[in-house]
Amino acid sequence: MLSQKVNINRVFHALGDPTRRAIVEKLSIRPLTVTRLAQPLDITLAAVVQHLQVLEKSGLVRTEKAGRVRTCRIEPAGLSVAERWLDDRRATWERRFDRLGDLLTEPDEN
Amino acid sequence: MQTLSVTHSTFVIEHNYPATPERVFAAFADPAKKRRWYAGGESSEVEEFQMDFRVGGNDYTRRRFREGSPFPGVALTNHTNYQDIVPHRRIVTAYTMSLGEKRISASLATFEFLPAENGTNLVFTEQAAFFEGADGPQIREQGWRKLLEQLAKELSR
Repeated sequence: MLSQKVNINRVFHALGDPTRRAIVEKLSIRPLTVTRLAQPLDITLAAVVQHLQVLEKSGLVRTEKAGRVRTCRIEPAGLSVAERWLDDRRATWERRFDRLGDLLTEPDEN
Repeated sequence: MQTLSVTHSTFVIEHNYPATPERVFAAFADPAKKRRWYAGGESSEVEEFQMDFRVGGNDYTRRRFREGSPFPGVALTNHTNYQDIVPHRRIVTAYTMSLGEKRISASLATFEFLPAENGTNLVFTEQAAFFEGADGPQIREQGWRKLLEQLAKELSR
């Protein structure tokens, strides 16, 4: 199982910081270079690199160096796709059963 | 590295209703009633809802995601087949879900209606095979966004 490689405590520690959440959010849209990441966040390159190290250790983000440019991307194995589908599915049924409860409180027409 | 294309999972949801098992069961058997609680939702519009409530019968639901939802314009379809029906006691179905043209899962869904002092305990068990190959970039992005929102909520408590 891919997801077992990820230490959940590390993931939560990594995501507990607002800057690191902002980084993950940006990378979930597309891969970015370290420089492009730093600009809109308005923090120094050194700070971004430190945050990236924490994110890499947690298994959420992967970085690759090509020449002088380091590119960062989301590591999809960080949390498996199936787990997210499952959460969605469960939430859908829970909402349905709540609506069924509303329906059952109405007086029975039969 | 090899990647598995199917992931299996089971989950159980229990829900108590202050109504008799007969009434709860009727909300599954009567298409007008079932449509109200089953097919609704804010993010999508019901385009088709067909029911054939008997063992071997098939249901078909097609919903389309609205603007502003994760996948605007994309159809979400459900094919259900009734495997077992014991009136007021149990319903077992097999169903598949598709997003657009792609099937994303196949499941066995069991609904048990257990009489309780104050009404009915509904026990729902889903045993699902999720097809990972169905995961498109949009879904991936949406999954992460949702995860982060949930986490932000959790942390702001």
